[in-house]
Amino acid sequence: MKKLKTKIFELEGFQDALFNKRMKEQIIVTTRTRIARNIAGFRFNSLSSKKEKKNISNIVKDVFFGSAPNRDYVFYNINRLSEIQRRLLLEKHILSPEMISQLYGKSLILKLIPGYLNEVVSIMVNEEDHLRIQSITPGLNVYKTYNNVLKMEKILEKKLSFCFDKDFGYLTSCPTNIGTALRVSIIAHLPAMVAGGRIENFVKNLARIGCSIRGFFGENSEVIGNLFQVSNLSSLGKNDKQILDEMHAVCLNVVDSEKEAIQYLKRTKPASVEDSVFRAYGMLKYAKMLCYGESLELLSMIKLGQTLEILGNLKSFDFYQLISLLGESNIILSLKDKIDFNKKDEAADKIDTIRADIVRNKILKGLDKNV
Amino acid sequence: MLCEFCKINEANVHLIKVVNGDIEKLNLCVDCLKNFNFFPAEDFFNDLTKILSKIFEVDIKIIDKSEDSKLFNFSGSGENKKCSFCGIDLNTIKAIGKVGCANCYKEFKDVFIPMVKVIHGNYQHTGRVPVHASRETKIEKEIKDLRYKLKEEITVENFEEAAKLRDTIKKLQKKLYPVKKNK
Repeated sequence: MKKLKTKIFELEGFQDALFNKRMKEQIIVTTRTRIARNIAGFRFNSLSSKKEKKNISNIVKDVFFGSAPNRDYVFYNINRLSEIQRRLLLEKHILSPEMISQLYGKSLILKLIPGYLNEVVSIMVNEEDHLRIQSITPGLNVYKTYNNVLKMEKILEKKLSFCFDKDFGYLTSCPTNIGTALRVSIIAHLPAMVAGGRIENFVKNLARIGCSIRGFFGENSEVIGNLFQVSNLSSLGKNDKQILDEMHAVCLNVVDSEKEAIQYLKRTKPASVEDSVFRAYGMLKYAKMLCYGESLELLSMIKLGQTLEILGNLKSFDFYQLISLLGESNIILSLKDKIDFNKKDEAADKIDTIRADIVRNKILKGLDKNV
Repeated sequence: MLCEFCKINEANVHLIKVVNGDIEKLNLCVDCLKNFNFFPAEDFFNDLTKILSKIFEVDIKIIDKSEDSKLFNFSGSGENKKCSFCGIDLNTIKAIGKVGCANCYKEFKDVFIPMVKVIHGNYQHTGRVPVHASRETKIEKEIKDLRYKLKEEITVENFEEAAKLRDTIKKLQKKLYPVKKNK
C-alpha cells in the first residue's frame, strides 16, 4: 500500500504540459466505465457466506496472477488495509462505499498506469457482484476506459465462466444492472449552467433520454462544487457499442451546453455571478481553514471566474487535479508527522488548515503579495 | 396464520425487512398493511428498491384482486416460490432488491420480465455473449444480430444485401434446430 501511495503522489508532479492543453475548457472531468460479472456456480453476494466470498476472492487471485505473474497489477485484501488507506481509495472512487462496509473476503486488484494522473484500472472483488471491473481516466474517454475494462475481462474469461442468460444477458445480483452490465458514468463540472440557471432544464432533459444524474459521490450524494455524475440508466436491450456511442454523444452535448452557458455569461456578465466569483476569491485568499465541501464550492466559482475572464491574477489550475488533492485521507497520508486521532476536533482543524494552505499555494502563491 | 397486528384477519402479506443483515419478519393482513405505513421511510429502500417497491404495491393489489392482477399472475401458483439453487424466496428478493443467484433469473423469469421491462424498457439482451457460452447461445445471438442488420438493410432498400443476410439466417437456423427441420 505504501507503494500505491507513493505512486499516486509521484504522479502529482506530472502535470504542467499535459494539463495546460485541457485546462481551458475542462468540463468533463473524469470518465468511469465499469462492468459487473458473476462467476457461474456460486451464489451471488446478496446471499453468499464468508467462506464463499473468501473462496471467490482466492479463485480470482489465482486466475489473475496464476498463469503469468502480472507485475503491473497489485492484489489487496481490503481487510488488511488500514482505515485511512481504504478511505483514500474511496475518495479516488477506486472503492465503492459498499466495499468498505463489510470487509471480509473483499479484495481489490489494481493497475496504475504510470504517466497519467489518476488513471486507474481495477477490479473490485465481492462488491455487490463477484466482480466489478472498472476504469477511470481524467477527461472524456468513453472508449478508452471501455477498452481497459475489456482487457481485464479477457484475462479473467480465459479461465472463468460468467453467469449469463440468453434473454437477460450477463446476470447481476441487482436487476438494474443486467444485460451488458455496463455502466458509463462521467463527472461533469458545470458551474456556468448552474450560475446561468439552466441546469434544472438540462437535468430534466438528460433524465428524459435515459440518463441518471447524481452528485459527485454517486448514489444518494449531494451535488457539491457544481459536479454532476451522469450515467446510463439501462443496460439491457442495447449492445455495448450503442451504450458507449450514446454516452459519448451525451457527453459532447453536455460540453456544448456548458460552453453555450459560458458564452452567454461572458456576454452578459451578470453582477450576481461576478459577486459570487469575487466572494469565492476573497474567501480562498483569507480563509485559514477550509472543509472539503466548501473548498470545492469556492474553487468551482474561481474556475468559472477564470473561464469568464473575470479573475485575472491567478495561476491557471486543473480543477479536478486540485480537488483530488483536497480529500481528507489524501491530506492525512501526505503529512510527515502523524495526526493524533484521539483528539478528533484538533485533527479535523489541522486538516482544514492544511487544505486552506494547499489551495492558496496552488492558485495564489507568487501572484498575490499577501500570500 | 393470523395477522400480527389486528390478530383477527388472516395474514396474507409476509414482509421481510432486512436492515444491515438483521432479518425481521412481519405477517400482516392487507388492511393493516394499508393502515400502517410500512414503506414511508427511505431508510431501507434506496434507489433501486424504489422501483421494486412499486412492483410490490402491485403485488399487494393482487391479493386485493384488483385489475392489475393479470400483470403478475405468478401469485396464484405458489405465491412464495423458492429458488432451488440458493433457497431465496420471492418476497425476500423484493425486500432486499437483489436476487440470490443466476438460477433465480431462470426460475422467476415470468415474474422478472415485467419488472425488467419497467427498469430497462426492454427485456432482450442484444450485447456480447461470453466466450464460454453454449454453441446454441452463440448462434442465437448471431441470428439476432443478423436480423437487426436485415431490418436496417431493408429500410435503406438494399435488397441484394438483405437477401444474402436472409439466407445466412436460414442456414444458421438449420444449424440450431436440425431435428425440428427434419420433422
